[in-house]
Amino acid sequence: MPAAAQSPPMVLPRSVADALAALALPGAQAVAGASWVMRAPLRHEPQAPTWVALAGIEDLHRCDITGDRVRLGALVTHDRLAHALPAAPDLRALAQAAAGAANPGVRRIATLGGNLCATGFAAADLAPALLALDATVEIATPQGRESLPMEDFLTRRGAPGPWLLTEVTIPRGPWRSAHARLPMRKAGDYPAAIVSLSATLTPERRIERLLAAIGAVEQAPRRWHALETRAKGEPLAALADLAQDTAGITARDALDAPGWYRLRILPTLVRRAAEAIAEDTA
Amino acid sequence: MTIDLTVNGQPRRFAGDPRTPLIDLLREDLRLTGAKAVCREGFCGTCTVLVDGQPVPACLRPVGLLAGAEITTVEGLAPQGDLNPVQRAFLDHDVVQCGMCFSGMVVTLTALLHRNTAPTRAEVKAALTGNMCRCTGYERIVDAVLSLAPADPPTEAAR
Repeated sequence: MPAAAQSPPMVLPRSVADALAALALPGAQAVAGASWVMRAPLRHEPQAPTWVALAGIEDLHRCDITGDRVRLGALVTHDRLAHALPAAPDLRALAQAAAGAANPGVRRIATLGGNLCATGFAAADLAPALLALDATVEIATPQGRESLPMEDFLTRRGAPGPWLLTEVTIPRGPWRSAHARLPMRKAGDYPAAIVSLSATLTPERRIERLLAAIGAVEQAPRRWHALETRAKGEPLAALADLAQDTAGITARDALDAPGWYRLRILPTLVRRAAEAIAEDTA
Repeated sequence: MTIDLTVNGQPRRFAGDPRTPLIDLLREDLRLTGAKAVCREGFCGTCTVLVDGQPVPACLRPVGLLAGAEITTVEGLAPQGDLNPVQRAFLDHDVVQCGMCFSGMVVTLTALLHRNTAPTRAEVKAALTGNMCRCTGYERIVDAVLSLAPADPPTEAAR
């Protein structure tokens, strides 16, 4: 009886269809920049038996920026994104997230798709920024492609495959955004908390519409809907006071910071992000 | 699965597990021990090498993603027995203390000076965000790099 064929340790598909076929192999895992999976041994996690390395799929490297929207392939790196985004108020949160995450060497490797799909990574910078920018995610499955809001994607990303995040689309508009983070050192390590905001203001500088997101505080990034509701109609300058109420947020304890500290600094990060937005409108 | 790549100008072939970190190929197989495997999570910068001219942590690069890549380690920055300008400046400014970080520092700063011949102090520090010095000798490192600036550097506005 012939021995069962062993799965290869790495396959390099050239198309999304080939990648989905490879992801159907037992234990296969999609790998983009590999900066997260290479650290699996340090997290005492088993290495997937087969890596489906996506680097050779040309479509996933797209970076299209127009006045109406931004379309980003899953393999766009933080560094490329930081350099490609224009200095536009609506995209500022994403530009700050891409330029400030981790350190320069990691930013040259780590990708958008990897940042969004690393379910164990609580302190991803791009995820809260994209939540605050009302981004949508395109998922490819053997049945076709589906677009879903970032918020829905983050709750479904642990679902069994095969599926592949192919691109992210960000709408452009008259809102202004900012991203504030607090790492334990000035730069280079994971932030203890992240706040991303996008706000549409009235001529009187009151908040007409706010999208707020937090990262690194809970196990996964998420929208801060309670703050968004409280902020409607309020002056931008009052936002930090409104953020004192952190009810409903279940902060995680970890080596870098206890949960109470993450909650304590949230109003400060909200203030910093709001001040950055206010500077843009001054 | 075999991977062909170039290391310090020499063609190399790797036939091991493609998930092997580049740092292990360099140190264990090629005996290029200038890059150090310390944190293995991209934080410390001691394993920094140039991949197609870009400084990246070799601990986070699986060899299987490097087919056709040009790798330059600290050993390849200058001809054998010679020093490149950053290495020379480190020596002249007595920068090296324990020595653990300096190969990564040299690689990162060599790449910085390649794209920006007259960096500001802030730009040097920003470039070094991913390179940690346990001896905390950062200021001397920055001084050494700034000593390499041209006598008449371009102004900020001219960049």
